Amino acid sequence: MTGTLLEVERLSKTFQVRRGFLGGATGTVHALSNVSFSVGVGETFGLVGESGCGKSTAGRSILRLVEPDAGRVRFKGEDVLTARAAQLRRLRREMQIVFQDPYSSLNPRRTIGQTLAEPMAVHGLGGAGEIAETVRAVLAEVGMPSDAAAKYPHEFSGGQRQRIGIARALVLQPELIVADEPVSALDVSIQAQILVLLRGLQEHRKLSFIFISHDLGVVRHFCRRVAVMYLGRIVETGPVPAIFDEPLHPYTQALRSASPVPDPKARVAMAKLEGEVASALAPPAGCHFHPRCPHAMEICKRVYPAWTHVGKDRGVACHLFPAPAAASALTP
Amino acid sequence: MSATATLLERGAWSRLGANILRHKMASLGAGLVILVALSAVFAPWLSPHDPLEQDVLLRLAAPSADFPLGNDDFGRDILSRILWGGRVSLVVGTSAVLLAIVIGGALGMLAGYIGGIFDRVVMAAMDVLLSFPALVMGLLVVAMLGPTVGNLILAITLTAIAPFARIARAPTLIVKERDFVEAGRALGFSNLRIMAVHILPNIIDEILVMASLWLATAIRTEASLSFIGLGVRPPTATWGGMIREGFENILDSPWLAIFPSLAILVIMLGLNMLGDGLRDATDPRLRHE
Amino acid sequence: MSERSTEPVLVVENLTTEFRIGGTWYPAVRRVGFTLGRNETLALVGESGCGKSITALSIIGLVPKANGRVAAGRVLLAGRDLLSLDEREMEKIRGNRISMIFQEPMTSLNPVLPVGFQVAEALRYHTDLSPKAARARALALLEHVKIPSAARRFNDYPHQFSGGMRQRVMIAVALACGPEVLLADEPTTALDVTIQAQVLALLAELKASDGMAMIFITHNLGVVASIADRVAVMYAGDIVELAPVDELFAHPTHPYTEALLRSIPRVDRDAFDLKPIPGQVPPITAMPAGCRYADRCPLRIERCSVEVPPLAPVPGLRGHQARCWVRAGAGAGAEAA
Repeated sequence: MTGTLLEVERLSKTFQVRRGFLGGATGTVHALSNVSFSVGVGETFGLVGESGCGKSTAGRSILRLVEPDAGRVRFKGEDVLTARAAQLRRLRREMQIVFQDPYSSLNPRRTIGQTLAEPMAVHGLGGAGEIAETVRAVLAEVGMPSDAAAKYPHEFSGGQRQRIGIARALVLQPELIVADEPVSALDVSIQAQILVLLRGLQEHRKLSFIFISHDLGVVRHFCRRVAVMYLGRIVETGPVPAIFDEPLHPYTQALRSASPVPDPKARVAMAKLEGEVASALAPPAGCHFHPRCPHAMEICKRVYPAWTHVGKDRGVACHLFPAPAAASALTP
Repeated sequence: MSATATLLERGAWSRLGANILRHKMASLGAGLVILVALSAVFAPWLSPHDPLEQDVLLRLAAPSADFPLGNDDFGRDILSRILWGGRVSLVVGTSAVLLAIVIGGALGMLAGYIGGIFDRVVMAAMDVLLSFPALVMGLLVVAMLGPTVGNLILAITLTAIAPFARIARAPTLIVKERDFVEAGRALGFSNLRIMAVHILPNIIDEILVMASLWLATAIRTEASLSFIGLGVRPPTATWGGMIREGFENILDSPWLAIFPSLAILVIMLGLNMLGDGLRDATDPRLRHE
Repeated sequence: MSERSTEPVLVVENLTTEFRIGGTWYPAVRRVGFTLGRNETLALVGESGCGKSITALSIIGLVPKANGRVAAGRVLLAGRDLLSLDEREMEKIRGNRISMIFQEPMTSLNPVLPVGFQVAEALRYHTDLSPKAARARALALLEHVKIPSAARRFNDYPHQFSGGMRQRVMIAVALACGPEVLLADEPTTALDVTIQAQVLALLAELKASDGMAMIFITHNLGVVASIADRVAVMYAGDIVELAPVDELFAHPTHPYTEALLRSIPRVDRDAFDLKPIPGQVPPITAMPAGCRYADRCPLRIERCSVEVPPLAPVPGLRGHQARCWVRAGAGAGAEAA
């Protein structure tokens, strides 16, 4: 599996929010700042971070469900952000999304069959017979019985609805799926079922995934590479076992040690990180993480660290890993 | 949704089931409405007499075998006039509400979906419309355009547009944030498709509840306008007009005013019971999800 | 580990709580029993619908009366059966000797009252402190739960705090009167991981310094490993395994516990073949006779579908009980649970 499917360069997005009692003052939320990464064909790429880090916004920006303010997104070489209507529609068939909340992701007034058939009808992919056949096939692929097509969402459990949501994402035969916390709202035993399903689909269809999650265990299980985000920026990327076994960035370290594992002997490592996640309305100057960082230095308060490549396939933005003199000088 | 919440919702379900009074009320209401509607539709066949036929000898006659509800100031059969008057009320009321749903509902849904400046402008316009009481609106329209059925419908429609716009806008704001709408955009659906197929069916419940309640208001407004003489011109039978005519003789011949009043009461009661029952039936807390 | 007196602070016996669905009463919690020692943290762990929240609500007397009832059992707090008390007497105990904290602090804190007021309110209701003394003590409590600049933030409203901070406020309210037992219903589930770690550490510290016992409800076995002394695993309204925390993870005995542990992805281990548990939890209205896990259990024998196994000691393991014909109380007639 070679080749780059998706390239994201310096994606940025800000939102205006109203603050104050009657919505007087406005503030700017820097949801994304200079986010760059790439995803290969058939690769599972993870975006992890806590709430407000921008991972969901990044996923949605790639699909243009949110329009970024700056940056470039290239899918198989084609520019996504400047695509016009017809081209965008075509691109939309190749990239799809799976949502977190199984109770909000299906139209309660449409049958499952209607929900699955609609995208194909809209894109003109075949007549009624072919569409019905595809619906049957994709339902089977996600482990749902074919009589599900005539039923309504409320007749199904959360896990089953999630399967249907996945089926809907597959119906147009995409090559890339953005999965936004696809198992976070599910019970533990259902999570495993859905993860196994996604893994199977990924192998069978050679799908690429951008897997967004706050749960490091799930990400470690599913993803080959991971980018860790904090306050709108990527602070570290790397291959999966290495980034969790030997995290470089202090935030990654904190995230890793704070993640509970089902092993009573591991409890001592937790909770050494003080302080709240800073507000995205007023990110601290310099490195956004410096107020909470146990290794903060003078320079961290003033200058945002440049991106440094460490080894073959890891990268980090931290003054503990200064960039070689030639490549630095850029502070995003 | 935790299983605890599901359990408690099921409790509400069984509460609703046990409380059959509500259902009875809605069914009763629907029955009344259908009764009145049918009698209006079949008025030409049901009326024993011509509603316009006058008979000087029968002026202000009390109810009798031939004329079960009595005769009015011109000797006309009150029963027949009530049946025919129902047609006016229902035609005016239903037309006005239908027009208001289409125009107001569309405006409200568009405003909620598009948002931004469009939303603010539309809602401001709605506020302007809302500031006119129905009767004042009726006065204005009739005074400027003349007292025809069409203008009557126009007047009532104008007062109903704003409430329907509001009742369409609020759930639109909620529904458009649901993931399945975003899924539609990700799948390349046009805004028109999303509004028609995904938003509209999810807001129609609230609109329908409003429709039956507003129909009652529309009928009452038509009757009020007829009562003050701005409705359909006599000699056409209208309930409001009949009450007006009966007003002068209310002490000696109360049946002129009582029966049309009862007719209005029955239809409004029926519509309100139906509307309340519908509202309970569509209350999301009491529903399956 | 702090010392524990031998007298348990809370004893739950045979607790059964039912809900009425479509006219019939179904048990959501069935004959649940356990003891809670002073200064002990017992984790109630299970997936949604297993009855863990209802158990806590039953203990503190907050089962919704519209269609729920505690049908049987005793809840002994220092010897007194809470289930036999009327509402007025329970009100004196709630927030005073037993407190509860919840998952969503935005809905358990009153959004229109300042946080200091809400902490002081608990004090004024249960003690005879003067308003001024109550406020002073409330401020001390906010500092005790490590709210930064507590004095300045005393009159702030809940929405001005982050999720983690709100949770600390709720803990302060719950601990105001020094309860003997704290019921914590998924208090960190809605929090970010790093904030969760802080709150868990805070709870551990408070438990040590204030000497209270805690029942911690969660669905996350990682959190259980981080905070519990003993663990009760629940499934479909039953406790299916009860053991000290080290024991539970070292020797998971009930097939459900075992299956659960095998189906959780871990950040400290390489990706392994997740084995999802086949099937689903039976709906409360259609519970099978016999062991409720039997349909999904690879160890199922004849007897499992017919007779409910009692919670019995596991041979060879210390202080470890499981509800299983195959793995516990095997052969030798099982003691009554």
